[in-house]
Amino acid sequence: MSYQLYRNTTLGHTLQESLDELIQYGQITPQLACKVLLQFDKSINQTLATRVKSRLTFKASKLNTYRFCDNVWTFMLNDVEFREVQEITRIDKVKIVACDGKNVAEEGSSKK
Amino acid sequence: MENKTADSVLKSILSTNTSKTTPAVPVPDWSTPLGGHTSVPIPTNPSNMTVSIPGSATNDPFVNITLQNCVATVELGCELDLMTINFRTRNSEYNPSRFSGVIMRIREPRTTALIFKTGKIICTGARNEQDALLASKKFTRILQKLNFNVKFTNYKIQNIVASCDLRFPIKLENLNQMHGQFSSYEPEVFPGLVYRMVKPRLVLLIFVNGKVLFTGSKSRQEIKEAFDNIYPILKSFRKN
Repeated sequence: MSYQLYRNTTLGHTLQESLDELIQYGQITPQLACKVLLQFDKSINQTLATRVKSRLTFKASKLNTYRFCDNVWTFMLNDVEFREVQEITRIDKVKIVACDGKNVAEEGSSKK
Repeated sequence: MENKTADSVLKSILSTNTSKTTPAVPVPDWSTPLGGHTSVPIPTNPSNMTVSIPGSATNDPFVNITLQNCVATVELGCELDLMTINFRTRNSEYNPSRFSGVIMRIREPRTTALIFKTGKIICTGARNEQDALLASKKFTRILQKLNFNVKFTNYKIQNIVASCDLRFPIKLENLNQMHGQFSSYEPEVFPGLVYRMVKPRLVLLIFVNGKVLFTGSKSRQEIKEAFDNIYPILKSFRKN
């Protein structure tokens, strides 16, 4: 089974909301919605690993806290600067949850 | 207004003049070898110890030995659930497939602890004995806050690493020939000479540029003794 952490993205949230609506109107069964979500996990993991070529660098002034538990790294960063060629964004607090990309050929995710 | 600036300039000149009247040779603190304590921790930096040179005939009468690392162990006397520790603490790593203990770090004093299931903790990275003790206590306190029934027992300093600079080059080749039973010098493997002293039992790494590293000692006293032993030897193998 692939990682389900991308369900917590905008894309994942909207998909879940749509599926909930469809279930409410009785247009699909909860089992089907579950299947769709699992397919979403699979697809987004594979797509991010293979089709996304863009690169982005970021640098934090401080690594506040880190944890390595069950093969998942968690980092809390302060004053982070994200940089993509000329575009620069600064954010006070960033939490990064990173999973091992090796076993499913897939990248870790980061979320604010 | 102008007078005032001139006045302050004069004042600063005067103050610099007074501060310049320091002795040409730095005056060491000699009030040390009492009660077995031979090292003088300089108040600003407890990792330093000033050691007088045995048979000091050279122009600088003391050498600063700096403690670089201090490893301590402590037993908590209770079994620890490493998963719980890893979940509930910050700055901890637990990867049982790679290492059986939790690796935890704190920032003040900047140290790393290896925490094992048996309740034993190894605290490394402290710059001196005081920091090692303080850090060990802090780690113990962190675990106590997680409701482990901890006791602070069998605290022991296991290793002290210290370094000093003799400020003269050394003929390692000759030293190795004369002290072959204690030393090993393989410049193609490692540029320093490894000197295994028997009494006190510790290891010295001696480099051509006159820098010396002490490791494997359990106390400052041993480092001091080792220094007293090695200094005359190194002086006799001084280059030029």
